[in-house]
Amino acid sequence: MSFNLLKGKKGIIFGALDPNSIAWKTAERVHEEGGEFVLTNAPIAMRMGQIDELASKTGSHIIPADATSLEDLENLVEKSMELLGGKIDFVLHSIGMSVNVRKGRAYTDQNYDWTQKGTDVSAMSFHKTMQTLYKKDAMNEWGSIVALTYMAAQRVFPDYNDMADNKAYLESIARSFGYFFGRDKKVRVNTISQSPTPTTAGQGVKGFDGFISYAEKMSPLGNATAIDCANYTITLFSDLTKRVTLQNLYNDGGFSNMGVSDAVMEAFVDKEQ
Amino acid sequence: MSDIASRVKAIIVDKLGVDENEVVNEASFTNDLGADSLDTVELIMEFEKEFDIQIPDDQAENIATVGQAVSYIEAAK
Repeated sequence: MSFNLLKGKKGIIFGALDPNSIAWKTAERVHEEGGEFVLTNAPIAMRMGQIDELASKTGSHIIPADATSLEDLENLVEKSMELLGGKIDFVLHSIGMSVNVRKGRAYTDQNYDWTQKGTDVSAMSFHKTMQTLYKKDAMNEWGSIVALTYMAAQRVFPDYNDMADNKAYLESIARSFGYFFGRDKKVRVNTISQSPTPTTAGQGVKGFDGFISYAEKMSPLGNATAIDCANYTITLFSDLTKRVTLQNLYNDGGFSNMGVSDAVMEAFVDKEQ
Repeated sequence: MSDIASRVKAIIVDKLGVDENEVVNEASFTNDLGADSLDTVELIMEFEKEFDIQIPDDQAENIATVGQAVSYIEAAK
């Protein structure tokens, strides 16, 4: 279903690895809604994934960039404006990685080089991206920047490990930079706090299947899928949400305001009997 | 140890953060040295850079141990 919500808008989409990626689904939806964009990912992720397929499907260009490198980001922003023929209207940051999670290091036994690497990739990259766009005056007025996050930034999910801290940092950057971007360039900045989603990156989290089932049972509308997230992101890129900014927006089927649900209660009542 | 073998091993020690003594020819990146899918791709890309070669994905799939990496690169050089 297309509403032409993004007709004439130009953007940059970070983090499409494979068809399971939220960024992948978002790119497909943006394309359906008439938006044009450049796809970007780290060289390693491009080698692992199938981004070429997405690019040809959506008629978009790929510019590889390590989002921790200012030089790469500057090149990305300049080249994107050249290719798209003007300033940028929307940006999706869908990047995250924790070496401690990947290597199974407990939160109480961090390797700090790895922690720092994760912070750089998962949070600081968002600041670097926005600072590059801001300094180059690359965003159109009423443009929209969105980053994806998870509720472990507010509440404890032990296996999310140091990614919880990275997401808290990411959300704070969205507010802080969002102020300056709003004041000086009329650009809005928000984060979407998404249900746990079975992407290639998400599946790296220990006990992920149990985690998904729990959230599913707890949420009155069930877990928001990657497509739900893509749809929500489209509305934030569109002109229908022009004064929504500095927000952390939950797209989670209601999970974040739940205490307990009947379905979760039942699991414990059964055990007692 | 050949020059290539020692350079390969140095990359593995650096990338995977493992002890040099563990990096023996028979060691499997994933089963013995704790590499995940991201690490194995990263290793292949490092080998390509260090030795200025191209390792196609279908060949890269056959490089699962330290020894296999060394022989592949020796043959490719």
